[in-house]
Amino acid sequence: MTEQQGSGNGATHMIVADNVKKWFGQFQALHGISMRVGKAETVVIVGPSGSGKSTFIRTINRLERHDEGRIFVDGIELTDDIRNISQVRSEIGMVFQSFNLFPHLTVSDNITLAPRNVRHWPKKKADEKAMQLLERVGIPEQAQKYPGQLSGGQQQRVAIARALAMEPKIMLFDEPTSALDPEMIKEVLDVMEELAESGMTMIVVSHEIGFARHVADRVMLFDAGKLVEEAAPDKFFDSPEHERTKAFLSQIL
Amino acid sequence: MSDRRVGPGLQEDVGIPTFDDRERALGAAPVVEPATPAEWVRENLFSSRFNTVITLVVGSLLGFFLYQISKFVFVTAEWAVVANNLRGFMVGPFPVEQIWRVWVSAYVVAVLGGLSAGASPNRITWTRRKRVVGVLVAIVATVLVVLLVDTMLVLTLTFGVVATAAAMLFVGRRQGGRLRRPLLVAWLLSFPAIMVLVVGFGGVSPRLWGGFFFNLVAATVGIFLSFPIGILLALGRRSSLPAVRSFSVVFIEIFRGVPLVAWLIFSKFVVGLLLPPQMNEPPDIIKALIVMTFFSAAYVAEIVRGGLQGIHEGQYEAARALGLSTTRMMAFVVLPQALRSTIPAMISHFISLYKDTALFVAIQVTDLLAAARRSAVGLQYFGRIKETLLFAGLLFWIVAFSMSRWSQRLETRLGVGIR
Repeated sequence: MTEQQGSGNGATHMIVADNVKKWFGQFQALHGISMRVGKAETVVIVGPSGSGKSTFIRTINRLERHDEGRIFVDGIELTDDIRNISQVRSEIGMVFQSFNLFPHLTVSDNITLAPRNVRHWPKKKADEKAMQLLERVGIPEQAQKYPGQLSGGQQQRVAIARALAMEPKIMLFDEPTSALDPEMIKEVLDVMEELAESGMTMIVVSHEIGFARHVADRVMLFDAGKLVEEAAPDKFFDSPEHERTKAFLSQIL
Repeated sequence: MSDRRVGPGLQEDVGIPTFDDRERALGAAPVVEPATPAEWVRENLFSSRFNTVITLVVGSLLGFFLYQISKFVFVTAEWAVVANNLRGFMVGPFPVEQIWRVWVSAYVVAVLGGLSAGASPNRITWTRRKRVVGVLVAIVATVLVVLLVDTMLVLTLTFGVVATAAAMLFVGRRQGGRLRRPLLVAWLLSFPAIMVLVVGFGGVSPRLWGGFFFNLVAATVGIFLSFPIGILLALGRRSSLPAVRSFSVVFIEIFRGVPLVAWLIFSKFVVGLLLPPQMNEPPDIIKALIVMTFFSAAYVAEIVRGGLQGIHEGQYEAARALGLSTTRMMAFVVLPQALRSTIPAMISHFISLYKDTALFVAIQVTDLLAAARRSAVGLQYFGRIKETLLFAGLLFWIVAFSMSRWSQRLETRLGVGIR
């Protein structure tokens, strides 16, 4: 059955999670998460801190190992097999809350590092791709600067470009705007919106309600390691079914 | 209080200091420069009664010391002890007829050093003060060499080294960045090449190495071998494999826990135990060099470990998320950052390792310090140890100081773009 989910439906389901559980010592962070994300779909996950939403998306590219359940990414099951892990990682781009750019490399080198060393592209091809992506995120003039010389919003756009340089099929965003000053949030969200419209499969952990309403195909609420509610954005925000969702929305709206 | 500030100061109050503003502020700030030396003296040395007292006390002490030292250097001292033992100072018991091998090595280093200095992207900006200091140093060095060296051949060869380095500096400037990669390869090959040149083809066994030549060779071996071994040990200490981790910890703690002198004396037996019995015993010097390298590697490992601890977890995660293998993550993301932050501690360690090569006297190597002490023992120069020690100290200091300067330039060069 699960093979079917993974490979048979691969064309429509980019990510299949089946009863995923995760413990940190005694603490159970994920209580059996099951979900599917279709090709070109954008899913926004909201939830209080400690609800397991970050942990969950980190299991998708194996930054965290799941203890039970199964995860398929584009038909490949995530197991302890290192080959599968690196294959999956090169198909998934990830953007972090704190950018995590490499401070000792220029913007351009940040972007070309993985294509040159994982995909083994020649320097020229990687550089051209980097410039193309920097233009896409709107900061081609910053290519030769170092991350420390950029604003937070610019750094996060470089981080997006760096993830896109590997030509991933899926992008994961772990609270991409939480560390940004208010006036810089929009420039990052605009890039993400353009990306979603271009047909990228995306999972976004974020509390940007405007973005969720406007861009998401589905919104999910995580609480205490469980997926409490999932619905289309209009239904999720205007007429949520669960009490927990109502309570959460009343706190953040 | 702050309401009287204007211009760039206001920006600061709003909380958005930027690079531009800081630069503008520096440019616009009134620079109070004393007009004459007399003014400078009044402002810096005699600005209050208390300062005047301090200036007078410290000044007279300094003057006294300076007088005593100059009196010794220029009047009392008899430098013949250094001039006549110069070869012993430089190469120890190295046979005279083989010394050309050392000279060739010196020329190799001069060529590479000159080219590297010339091709280096950050050139020295010659301020007036630097020019004055440079010219003074050059004059003093020339006088010293001319006074101490008594044969024409050695004098010519010495100035030849300097001239070669200068010529190569010029060539290096002309060629610029193109040379950097070939130079790196040349440097890496030069040391084994020099070793072959010194030992091979009927050359000189390590048993006869000595003098400053020995200190330099031992320091080079120790530094360049212990650096990679130390990095591996540091990575091993953080490895997830228990066997690798415990090996690294045990290695580090054992080598760090015993004085280097003791290790040098032990080395005779320790290395013998580790080698298969059929193998020919290497000379004591080689055994001691191996043990010194391990000793230094233990320190390097701990310095690198400190640097690794400063790397944020997010850097590892970002590298992994991009699909980089562990080796590439370490080589391109983690180590470049970790090693940069350890430069001051690392150079400090290497300078002390270099000076610790004087401890080889414990296994009967006549290094520079031993040569200095020994040359004042003979009847002819009995009691002239002040002169010989001063000279040995000067030689040690010149190299140590150069290392320190070079590390500062390295730091500025690698410091680009780091917050």
